[in-house]
Amino acid sequence: MKTIFAMIKRNMKLFFNDKGMFFTALITPGILLVLYATFLGNIFEDSFYAGLPDTIKLPEKVINGLVGGQLISSILAVSCVTVAFCANNLMVQDRANGSIKDLTISPVKSSRLAISYYVATLLSTLIICLAAAGLCLVYVGANGWYMSVSDVIFLLLDVVLLSFFGTALSSVINFFLSTQGQISAVGTIISAGYGFICGAYMPISSFSDGLQKVLAFLPGTYGTSLVRTHSLRGALAEMQSQGVPAEIVGSIQDSLDCNLYFFGGQVSVPTMYLILGGSVAVLVGAYVLMNAMKKRV
Amino acid sequence: MRDIIKIDHLSKSFGDVKAVQDLSFCVKEGELFAFLGINGAGKSTTINIMCGQLSKDDGKIVIDDADLDSNLDHIKRGLGVVFQNSVLDSALSVYDNLQSRAALYGLFGSEFKKRLDELAKLLEFDDLLKRSVGKLSGGQRRRIDIARALINHPKILILDEPTTGLDPQTRKNIWRVISDLRRTENMTVFLTTHYMEEAAEADYIVILDGGKIAAEGTPLMLKNTYSQDFITLYGIDEEKVKALSCEYEKIRDAFRLSVPNTAKATELIIKHPDLFTDYEITKGKMDDVFLNVTGKKLEGGTVK
Repeated sequence: MKTIFAMIKRNMKLFFNDKGMFFTALITPGILLVLYATFLGNIFEDSFYAGLPDTIKLPEKVINGLVGGQLISSILAVSCVTVAFCANNLMVQDRANGSIKDLTISPVKSSRLAISYYVATLLSTLIICLAAAGLCLVYVGANGWYMSVSDVIFLLLDVVLLSFFGTALSSVINFFLSTQGQISAVGTIISAGYGFICGAYMPISSFSDGLQKVLAFLPGTYGTSLVRTHSLRGALAEMQSQGVPAEIVGSIQDSLDCNLYFFGGQVSVPTMYLILGGSVAVLVGAYVLMNAMKKRV
Repeated sequence: MRDIIKIDHLSKSFGDVKAVQDLSFCVKEGELFAFLGINGAGKSTTINIMCGQLSKDDGKIVIDDADLDSNLDHIKRGLGVVFQNSVLDSALSVYDNLQSRAALYGLFGSEFKKRLDELAKLLEFDDLLKRSVGKLSGGQRRRIDIARALINHPKILILDEPTTGLDPQTRKNIWRVISDLRRTENMTVFLTTHYMEEAAEADYIVILDGGKIAAEGTPLMLKNTYSQDFITLYGIDEEKVKALSCEYEKIRDAFRLSVPNTAKATELIIKHPDLFTDYEITKGKMDDVFLNVTGKKLEGGTVK
């Protein structure tokens, strides 16, 4: 066990010592927050106003709370996965620069090394994503705060669970990589593509029916929905208390993916947690199995 | 002396490329064993198989009385490896690197500190402990590579071209340390090198060519079999040298005669005592041996 701790310490030191890797991971949520607030904030705001009947006038703070909730949920849902990929690059870099040879000539089992990569990536991802979550909450606080303590706790739980998911997913994918070129290629694909397929950049509800059905099979979409549900719940409740009919609030929830449907049936929040938790278990199991069955060339 | 490494009919292919073919040799405990060959001869493949980094297609390897197939962990505990290129973490300090590597062998706390002190004294890197490995010079980094290889008190130290690219003084220092270790700890050293003068210091040499053993023996045996002796004759006219009927070359202040062996040299001296008033007899060099065995001349790892 002490050996695993020592390797986790080594991996985390390398991640936080490598300025390039660390700042790339840290800056991603920050840049997303600035870009979203600058370019998409007004679009989100206009679309909310457009969706409301002319008879209903809502205070600007409620709309800002809603827009802020949507922004931060998108950022956090994407960051937990992209940061995990960035942190887990260390595993591939060790292979690319030959450091892994120095570790595997020792009597330590490769499964222990695999665990140390997983845990170090998870801790690094959690440190950055929880810091990003704090920053996001400050942003929402400054624009329109309607979140309860339980919303915040559940939001942080979602971030933790998504970090587990991102780490497990990156561990399975990075298992097959061994060069710097492959790291860059996968990093680019994940950064550009994951936000779309998990519904963070654009709500899944805005996609075609066929695509929605396909995306319903991807566990990441439920993670995004959980983060969105908990970051928007307070603002949506406030809208309802301000006289917005429940049907309109429901349709906003649908359009923002707070409600997700699997072939027509609504997926409940506990089921979403089960799906995400189950996916983590399956991915970690696959990662452990792959390491255990890995043969020397 | 017991055989600490026994390799029997080892073979390994990568697709159509036969990297190692039916290789068999033994290494005695405490000796300096040299593995010679051009790049691609199969040296690193053999080392990687011995360390458990590569699988083998055929053959048997026993290291320190443990079979590689059934007792790899035991073998790994007794090995220290200095790789061709440094594989330490450049971003971390020397201390952090050695601490993390020591942990792989279950060395923690005071036990690690004690070993670190021993190695820092032996390899003179006390003042480098806080520096990043990436900021060290080639020679400094090599010393840390050796410290890492020695962290677990290995019985066998594998050196894969350890001094390539280093200045002569650093090479000399590194060999001083390795010689001390062999003497004080009876450590077996398994060396691959491109420097023939380093191989000439070995107790036993195996020359690989195309994945097969082309020649093996002690440096003396190899020189006697695959090289010739030279007599350097001073203070003599060329006409008299010609009369000896030997192949020769003129050097600045003498003539260098080639003779098949020492017996022939002795015979010449006895036959012409008047000519041999100022002379020296030298054995051929390992470069000559390598050239005669493989038909290739090795300079700095490349074939000439």
